[in-house]
Amino acid sequence: MALETVTESPDALGGAFEASSFDLHMRGSIPSCLEGSLVVATNRRHKSRSVYSRWHDSQTDLLRLDLTPGHPGSVRAHFLGTDPGWPHAPAAGSATYVSQPNHGLNCTADTLWATNLLFGAPLEVDLRTWRPRRVLRYLEPSDATPQVTTTSHFAWDLGQRHAYFHQSLLAREQAGAPASAVDLTLFRLDAHTGRERAWRIVPPPDDASLIGANFHSAFCFEEQGRSYVGLLRTGAVVQHVEAHGPSDGHPVLPMEASTIWVVEIDEHSDHLQATTLPGVREIGGFALSHLDVDASSRDGFVLYANYKQAAVGEDTHGLNVYGEPADQVPEHYSGMIIEPFNVGTVIRYRRAQGKWSISRFRRTYRPDRTSEGHSWLPINVQLDSTGRRLFCSFAGFRPRLLPRHVAQAYGDAVADVRQIRYVPPLLMRFDAETLQPDVDSHRRHLSYAEPVAFAVVPHPRGDDVVCTFSPEIGLRIYSGDDLSAMVGYGVAGELMTYRDTHFRPMPAHMVFVPR
Amino acid sequence: MALNRPAVGGPEFVRIVAEARAKVERLEAAQWDFAAVPEVFARPQHADVMAKEAVHMFDGRTMTRVGRLVLGGTGAHFNLMGTFPADSTFRVATEYTSKVLGEVHQQVGRDAMSDLPAYDEIQQLYRRAEDIEFSNYGMFYSLRDLVQWLLVHDAGCFPSTLETIVRRFAQGNVVQNNMYSTNSPSDDPSNPSIMRSPGLMVQFPSKVVEWMEQPIYGGLVDETIKVEHLLTVMPTDVSHPYLPLVLESKVRILDQDYYLRTYGGTAPKEALRGPGVPEERPDTPSGA
Repeated sequence: MALETVTESPDALGGAFEASSFDLHMRGSIPSCLEGSLVVATNRRHKSRSVYSRWHDSQTDLLRLDLTPGHPGSVRAHFLGTDPGWPHAPAAGSATYVSQPNHGLNCTADTLWATNLLFGAPLEVDLRTWRPRRVLRYLEPSDATPQVTTTSHFAWDLGQRHAYFHQSLLAREQAGAPASAVDLTLFRLDAHTGRERAWRIVPPPDDASLIGANFHSAFCFEEQGRSYVGLLRTGAVVQHVEAHGPSDGHPVLPMEASTIWVVEIDEHSDHLQATTLPGVREIGGFALSHLDVDASSRDGFVLYANYKQAAVGEDTHGLNVYGEPADQVPEHYSGMIIEPFNVGTVIRYRRAQGKWSISRFRRTYRPDRTSEGHSWLPINVQLDSTGRRLFCSFAGFRPRLLPRHVAQAYGDAVADVRQIRYVPPLLMRFDAETLQPDVDSHRRHLSYAEPVAFAVVPHPRGDDVVCTFSPEIGLRIYSGDDLSAMVGYGVAGELMTYRDTHFRPMPAHMVFVPR
Repeated sequence: MALNRPAVGGPEFVRIVAEARAKVERLEAAQWDFAAVPEVFARPQHADVMAKEAVHMFDGRTMTRVGRLVLGGTGAHFNLMGTFPADSTFRVATEYTSKVLGEVHQQVGRDAMSDLPAYDEIQQLYRRAEDIEFSNYGMFYSLRDLVQWLLVHDAGCFPSTLETIVRRFAQGNVVQNNMYSTNSPSDDPSNPSIMRSPGLMVQFPSKVVEWMEQPIYGGLVDETIKVEHLLTVMPTDVSHPYLPLVLESKVRILDQDYYLRTYGGTAPKEALRGPGVPEERPDTPSGA
């Protein structure tokens, strides 16, 4: 397939993005293994609760935190606000955009590819100069297909040289049917040369609907000398490609259960036939989205992934499940992340020598048993450097932010909102083999009220370091062995807001890039 | 929180302290799971900070916060807890607070202040409020000390609140605690006692502007009316995370010139519940 990316010199469009830098105030220390940068995709939310926008569409501020180890060490923050219309021109209220990379982060030592969670194409950023280079939009939108959707979290081959991701066009909704994917395409990006290769994806016969054919994350594995890419079919239903106006609610088409598609990489064909991974659809979970994988055996894989149990194609607006209008809910701001309608699930899928097995972790929140953790709105999944421990973050639940029209679409699958309360965010360590909380007698396996964005960084001594971050809470540094005691803590008021109009809510993801 | 046992003396005090300590030890042995000691759960609470006016002064090396609160609640005796860095200096400083706030109001112009809806609402609450004093100030350096104090005073606590406080201890904060009471107790959450606190001041070293954490819902009001003034010796574009900028000016406080940025409006509490949904209590999981 012939490929052409949207590329233009950043210098010619200096006004299309803006930068700012400042120091954090550090308390405690920064371990030596954190010599490098943490990269975060933050976004903006208007302080005025009367402004309406979708959470996918919120403006992006990419953040690079440069860490210098020491006691206390130092952290310098560099924001890069990117215009969604770049590189064509600053956006002028356009309903769709080229790139709005407020979610996913895919990095090599010198390059970041930042992505939206659903819409738009990846933005390539030079990590050193902290300037955008190009947008990886390979498919050309039209009036009938005005938007593209791209995999947020790329798959990397075992050599960490090639990244794989899906991109397709989104056909506008019509005749009561929601938007659907067109021209499903798998792309391979050579991180060394920047060259790409593309294949059309042929949907599996048993999962051929193109409504909800979006793939939030991908992973690579090998089997008997052949290379494969797995695509988590999230199943987000996009009812409207463009944002609708504020309303008290509208009918919602529920998602189908998520699946995983697998394609074998064939260098001699332009088309790849996808098949579904057995046992995944049968779990019946919704919004399968984030993952980590151990494919080092080169004979199958061990995949860790999570189901959000949230209508991720929707946004928070209208009456809530208690019938309260948004303007009477103080914590309701425009462009908020959609709340889950019930407890999420983390799975471990093992495939080796042609056999597969699945284990699951799904847990309600019991305030009288907080040491057991919970699985409300799982976000990040990351193995430690040994592969024996798994760290997962969970965003929790704010019941007054669940829209009534979304809850109605999922009927009996919705938690009992007459009983349910606030569930605090959680970071928890698991035994990667059993997928059970890695409980110890001193409660060092979990931390509540924690930002969901985190990065596990290997330490030469073996005890990995875990960093968590949100603009409001700041940077927290833990030993992976002990989530009860902070090693370092950094904060700055400038992190929290964009000018005087917007604040920056809790971001979903963060990655560490060694210097 | 409302305190059911504001004070007790004599040998009974020794017994109550010993019982509280035993419960804390059981709770700690159970990894702080309240299921092992369900009597630690607080009873239904209706006590919150309803409004506040605060000044945040930043000179590049030190954050100084002063302010006054409007407190609301049912019951007669309460405590107010706040967290800040462990190297802070805390004072009840009514005279200093009044002077700083008064200077800001006067130099900005009282008419300009009165034009701010949040300021006007706070003034209306002040007029209804009873002046109260803080007493028995204390600092907690660990979760164990904090929970023991709450049990001695028969207040109890909620697990999710405690999990949030644990993080603040872990990042190097202390919990500062004040007791107070009203002469006009109420048992009606729709018509609570309204009280005006003395002036409070906290000061700690920092190279950056640091805002206060969002308060946790106490069962009475789900948002806080706020006017917050940021005073800096250098121009700044730091903004408040939730409140809109409503006023900019320059002021001179105690021979120091400051740039002033005032933010006003309402900000949500943390951990809100749906209407009619009860507080955390034993054996009620969240989720199907």
